[in-house]
Amino acid sequence: MNKQVQNWQGHSIEAQGLCKSFMSGEVTIKVLDGVSIGIAAGELTLISGPSGCGKSTLLSLLSALQKPDAGRVLILGQDITALGQKDLQRFRLEHTGFIFQGFNLFGALTALEQVQLPLGYLGLSDKQARERAMQALEEVDMLHRVASRPAQLSGGEKQRVAMARALAKRPQFLFADEPTSALDGENGHNIVDILHRVAREHGTTVLCVSHDPRLIGSADRVLAMEDGLIGREWRPEKSAHGESNAVK
Amino acid sequence: MISLARQSLIHEWRKFLPAVMAVGFSGLLLLVQAALVLGIFGSAAVYVTRSSADVWVGYPGTQSVNFGRSIGGDVAMRLHLDPGIAAVEPYVWVEGDWRGRDDTQGAASVFVSGINTSPGAMMFSQVLPDDLRLRLREPGAVIVDRADLEQLNAGVGGEAWINGRLVHVIGVVDGLRGLGGVNVLASLDSARMLDTSNASPGSATYFVAKLRDPAEIESVRVRIKPESAFGPFEVWSADEFASRSQRYWLFDTGAGVAVLFMAVIVFVVGAVITSQSLLALVVASAREYATLNALGVSFTSLARVLVEQSLWVGAIGLVISALFGAALLWLAGHQGVPADMNPVVAIACAVLVMGLAFVSGLVATRGLWRADPAMLLR
Ligand SMILES: Nc1ncnc2c1ncn2[C@@H]1O[C@H](COP(=O)(O)OP(=O)(O)OP(=O)(O)O)[C@@H](O)[C@H]1O
Ligand SMILES: [Mg+2]
Repeated sequence: MNKQVQNWQGHSIEAQGLCKSFMSGEVTIKVLDGVSIGIAAGELTLISGPSGCGKSTLLSLLSALQKPDAGRVLILGQDITALGQKDLQRFRLEHTGFIFQGFNLFGALTALEQVQLPLGYLGLSDKQARERAMQALEEVDMLHRVASRPAQLSGGEKQRVAMARALAKRPQFLFADEPTSALDGENGHNIVDILHRVAREHGTTVLCVSHDPRLIGSADRVLAMEDGLIGREWRPEKSAHGESNAVK
Repeated sequence: MISLARQSLIHEWRKFLPAVMAVGFSGLLLLVQAALVLGIFGSAAVYVTRSSADVWVGYPGTQSVNFGRSIGGDVAMRLHLDPGIAAVEPYVWVEGDWRGRDDTQGAASVFVSGINTSPGAMMFSQVLPDDLRLRLREPGAVIVDRADLEQLNAGVGGEAWINGRLVHVIGVVDGLRGLGGVNVLASLDSARMLDTSNASPGSATYFVAKLRDPAEIESVRVRIKPESAFGPFEVWSADEFASRSQRYWLFDTGAGVAVLFMAVIVFVVGAVITSQSLLALVVASAREYATLNALGVSFTSLARVLVEQSLWVGAIGLVISALFGAALLWLAGHQGVPADMNPVVAIACAVLVMGLAFVSGLVATRGLWRADPAMLLR
C-alpha cells in the first residue's frame, strides 16, 4: 500500500487495485485482477498486450467510461469512481478527449461541424467554437477538407477529423484505443506524431492502447499487459531520461 | 451552435422519409376524418347555416332541426311586435316518402322544407337564387340537391310522389344535402299540402326572424320570454341552434364516440410507426451518439437532439398532410362529398400531429440506452 502512495506523486492518473469481471452466460470472466498503475502527464503512455487481455477494459476504467468492480481511479487527486453519472459526464466534458478505433463521425456533418459540435456543449460561443475547431483541424493537417462530409473522406482523414474533435476541447487527458489499426503506414505515422505532439506541447496525459509496433516504438512508456495485470513496463530507447517506474 | 438534428434532416433526409411519411399519413387521416365529420355532421344544420335568419323559434327542448314540432301561429305575432325584430318567416318541416313516377325503386325518406317564396326571404337564402325561389310558387313545385337526383331517381322537369301527392322537380341547387334524409324545398303551401298530420292553420314547425341589429340577440331573447298565452316555444340564436343540431348527431347518436375512437387509433398507430422508425435511426447511429457521450455530451442533451429531430419530422409531416389534405378537400368539394374544415379543428389536428411526433421522439430516446460509451472500447 505504502509503495503505491509514493507512486501517486507526479501522476495525473492513479489506479489502485482495479478489478473488473464480466458475466458471459453462467461463467464469470475476470478481466482485470487488481491492476495498479500511474500515468504521467506530458508523455505518451502505451498499453499493449495480446488480444482479449483486457487493454480496452482498463482504458475504459481509467477514462471514466466504466466503473470498476473494485479499486479506485484518481484523476488529478479526485476519486472518479465515486462520481455519479451526471458528474462523470461533466468531468469527461471538461477534461477528456477520446479517439476510438471506429471513427464514429456523423454522416450529416462536415469535418468542421464534427469538431465544432462538442464545443457547443462546453458553453463556447459559435465564434469561439469555430476558431478552436479550425485550430484543431490545422493541428491534424485537415484544413483543406473542412467542408467535406465523412462519405468524401479517406479512412486516415476520418481518423484525423475524429482526432481534431477530441483535441478541440483542449482536454488534459487524451485516450485512444487502437487509433491506428484501421490505417496504413503513412496514415498511422501521422496519428502517432500528432499524439506525441499533443503530449509534448500541451502537457496532455496521452494514454493509448495498441499492439501496433509503430506505436510501441515511439511511445514514451510502454506497459505490457498479460492475464489481467501489468506484467512489465519499459521506456523505449530513444527517450533519453527514462527511469523505470515498476508497479510490482 | 451546430444543430445536429437539423443537419441530419437536411443531409440525410432519405433516412427520415419513413418517419416523415408515417407522420404525414397519420396527419392526413386525422384531417380527412375531421373534414368528413365536419361535413357530414355539419349538414345536420344546413337548414340553419344556409339561411340568413338570426333567431330560431321552435318547440321547447328541440334537440335538432329535424325533431321540430308544431308551434302556434300566435308566436309569429309576438315576434312581429318586438321592436328589435325586422322580419319573421314561418318554416314548415314535413317528413315524407318519395316515390318515383315509375315506382320501381321503393320509397326514399325525404325532409320537405316549406319556405317563404318572396324574393330575399331568409330560409336557404345562401343556396337558393330568387328566380328559382319564385318558381316554387307553382303548386307541387319542388327543388332538390343536384347530387340527390340519382338517389331520388328523378330529373329536372320530372314528376314524383311525396306522401302520395304529385310533385314536380323544377330545378336543382348545390349545398342542400342533409343527414338522415334527402332535403326537398317547396313553398309553404305545397309543404302543408304534403303534410299528413293535420296541423292547425297558421302554425309552423319554426319561426325564423331577422334582427335589426344582430348583436341585440340577448335583449330580444329576454323580451320574448315564453308566455303561456302563445303556447310553448323556445328561442335560440342561429349559431346556437346549428351547433345544437350538430352536437345531437355527433354525441347523442354515438357517432362522436366512434369518431373519437378512430382518432385515438390513428394517433396510436401513427405514434407506434413513427417512433419505431425514429428508434431505428437512433440505434443505427448509436456509436456516434456514444462517442458524443464519451466526450461529455450528456444523455439529456442527446435526448433533446432526438426530440428536436422528431419535432422537425412532425412539422414536415404536417406540411405534407396539410397539402394533401387541402387537395383532397378541394376534390371532395367538387365531387359533392360532404367535407368541411374550420380553423379550430385544423389547429386541433396540427396539435395532435405535433403531439404524435413529440411522443414518438420521446419513445425514440430509449435507443440511447444502446449508446453506452463503454461499448466503443473493446
Ligand atoms: N461488456 C462485456 N461483456 C462481456 N465480456 C466482455 C465485455 N467487455 C469485455 N469483455 C471481455 O473481456 C475481455 C477483455 O476485453 P478487452 O476488450 O478489454 O480486450 P482487449 O485487450 O482490448 O482486446 P483487443 O486487443 O482484441 O481489443 C475479453 O475476453 C472480452 O470478451
Ligand atoms: Mg481492445
